Amino acid sequence: MKVAVFLCTCGGSLAERIDPRQVGSRVGALPQVAAWKTCDFLCSEDGKSFLRAEVAAGKPDRVVIGACSPREYEAAFRQVMGAAGLNPYLMQMVNLREQVAWVTPDPTQATCKAVALLRGAVARVLRHEPLEKKGIEACPDALVIGAGPAGLKAALTLAEAGRKVTLVEKSAVLGGRPVHCEEVFPAMECGSCMLEPVLGEVLHGAHADNIEVLTLAEVAEVAGYFGNFTAKIRQHPRYVNPELCIGCNECIPPCPVSRPNPYDLGLGTAKAISFPFAGALPNEPYLDDGSCLRFQGEDCRLCQQACPVEGAVDFEDRERVLERAAGAIVVAVGAALYDCKNLPALGYGTLAGVYTSAEFERLLASNGPTGGEILTPEGTPPQAVAIIHCVGSLDAKHMPYCSGVCCQYAFKYNHLIRKKLPGTAVHHLYKELVAPGKEDFALYEQLRQETGASLIRYRELAEVSVERANGNRLVRYHDSSGAEGALRAGLVVLCPAMTPSEEARRLAAILDVPLDRFGFFEELHGRLDAAQSKLRGVYLAGACQAPMNIQESVSRAMAAAGYILAGLAPGKQLEIEPVVAAVNAERCSGCRTCGAVCPFKAISFTADEGRAEVNALLCRGCGTCGAACPAGAIRCHHFTSEQVLAEMEGVLV
Amino acid sequence: MSEASPVAPFEPKIVGFLCNWCSYAGADKAGAAQSAYPPNVNVVRVMCTGRIEPQWIFRAFEVGADGVLILGCHAGDCHYKEGNYRCTQRHRLLLRLLRQFGIEEERCRLDYVSAGEGERFVQVVGEMTETVRALGPLAWNGGGGPGPSAGPQI
Repeated sequence: MKVAVFLCTCGGSLAERIDPRQVGSRVGALPQVAAWKTCDFLCSEDGKSFLRAEVAAGKPDRVVIGACSPREYEAAFRQVMGAAGLNPYLMQMVNLREQVAWVTPDPTQATCKAVALLRGAVARVLRHEPLEKKGIEACPDALVIGAGPAGLKAALTLAEAGRKVTLVEKSAVLGGRPVHCEEVFPAMECGSCMLEPVLGEVLHGAHADNIEVLTLAEVAEVAGYFGNFTAKIRQHPRYVNPELCIGCNECIPPCPVSRPNPYDLGLGTAKAISFPFAGALPNEPYLDDGSCLRFQGEDCRLCQQACPVEGAVDFEDRERVLERAAGAIVVAVGAALYDCKNLPALGYGTLAGVYTSAEFERLLASNGPTGGEILTPEGTPPQAVAIIHCVGSLDAKHMPYCSGVCCQYAFKYNHLIRKKLPGTAVHHLYKELVAPGKEDFALYEQLRQETGASLIRYRELAEVSVERANGNRLVRYHDSSGAEGALRAGLVVLCPAMTPSEEARRLAAILDVPLDRFGFFEELHGRLDAAQSKLRGVYLAGACQAPMNIQESVSRAMAAAGYILAGLAPGKQLEIEPVVAAVNAERCSGCRTCGAVCPFKAISFTADEGRAEVNALLCRGCGTCGAACPAGAIRCHHFTSEQVLAEMEGVLV
Repeated sequence: MSEASPVAPFEPKIVGFLCNWCSYAGADKAGAAQSAYPPNVNVVRVMCTGRIEPQWIFRAFEVGADGVLILGCHAGDCHYKEGNYRCTQRHRLLLRLLRQFGIEEERCRLDYVSAGEGERFVQVVGEMTETVRALGPLAWNGGGGPGPSAGPQI
């Protein structure tokens, strides 16, 4: 086997310390070294042409380049090798500049070290194998799970680029949390109105044909990997045909059933056939088969009889299981709120008039159970409202983090309460206040200038309690100086920490994607790749990955869409890097050690014998499986034991 | 160095396994800053310290290394998420084995150097070189085997 060794003198910068003639005579004397050349600037266009011509003419079997750091020029020199007709992986670079010449003042020592490293590289490169990049077909389309602001924007962006999108939403309504809110901070827009244009585009816009909207649906199974996922989606029957329904509302008044409305968090009632709330999109009601008389065995058809379109109310509708292909998945399932029952002294669930922020949003909403009137449980407007911040936040016993959005909506409540009931006092009890950002301080400024609003910093939430007192609520606390205080309030609103939802846990198991220590989806990198999960092809958007406001959620969604548009292009194959691990099935005992250490879920096990298999598309070539395998059955291409040991022994001589 | 005459002071031979993303980049950073350090550590680049097989370290001692220096990313910084943790676990077990073979633990040091820590790289290499120099040459026969190999078979 013939090895050609090239030494770049880096315009003398390398040759100042490393004597090319001495190196040449000693490396050139190695039995397999057939050619020894030096060049002034191998990285220059002239240098690369020289290298290419030398390799093309000399036809060496292997090439070693002593130059600068491979982190800088390895990729460029590999391209030159390819152009010269040599497999790029049959070249090895030696870092003689940053790691020898520039750090070893003594020329004798530097020259000796250069010889040792080149000898190691020659020994290594003799054991290199030609490796090829491979391509596989990939589906450019996407599955988006969750139709809140993040999911909607991701779906719309992808659809605008011509991708087919399956948008899966668990509830009967699109829009996520904002459409349950009368107004959203910081600009006090109506939540539904803010999302109206986006929803309009998704449902009826120029690219709506590219989006399949599935409400009352959930992802039940996912198989495959980046570029080639297949998802099974279970869709609960709506009993209203979206193709026929004209959204006229005629079916709703005749329904004799009254049930707690889940979309008002049980604070109001709904008919068995109903809209989640007025203005909900898509503009067709849904029928709750858990309460509809027809599904309890009675022959009631009042809604169907009232419907002006034949077939629009369809009692024969059945659960469907749909299968959809997708190259990538966006998870945008949002968050939950901390369970305030874990803080029983606050009276949530036991005292009337104590609400969570999610419930209070519905009480403020004109399409909510009170038509937007702020009323105590006794039916009168409150003289005072107490808003307790940081419920379950910033507390090692509950959730240690700050959710960052609660102060903002609490300031919004202040504004809305004072607008609707100018005589009502609003007391904010808080542990910490946050109002970062160029817009968000405005509501806080307004609050500070109001005489009817007070800010009380409590010492510990554990010292805050709510009790009943003469048709009112009495809130007791210790302020930050330790002094005891108490105030009366007709309503108490709790601002709980945003927490991971149950749906996140369920989906994480289905997708085999890791969650962080809190239960949020874990990002590939918290700063640089915050919209990627740790599984290639599964992207994250919004509050399912961390407490987040609408703006941040939508930005992550756009980032997720960007990853998909960049990574999956119609007609373009996915490139598989060759520096990956491979299993020798004959040596594999099926112990599964490798699968347990793989950080990228790239290793699966054959159904029949449980032998390990590496998915080269998911493998990133770290090699930890190779180090873990007790049978030596895993070959880490380009970093095999033989290659590394040959280099090591070479440098030690 | 290999040419050292019998009267020359002992120059330890040390293999440095450096991860590509943090520590190798840290070494490059020391180079870019032209910070001088002893030439005794010869670097073998791996993509991740998680790739390092404990057998490699035994082999290094067997074929004449007086020390092995493993440098990876700091906790939480691994390019492959957790390869450095795997390496830390394996290193702990390896030290116990080395003790049983009569090899001083100090001859196999695991440390963490980030891509920005050129100075730290210089410091660790200096310390390692002095530590191994003080320990003296490793006279190990490979745990009862035929003794140091004749050198690389290239």
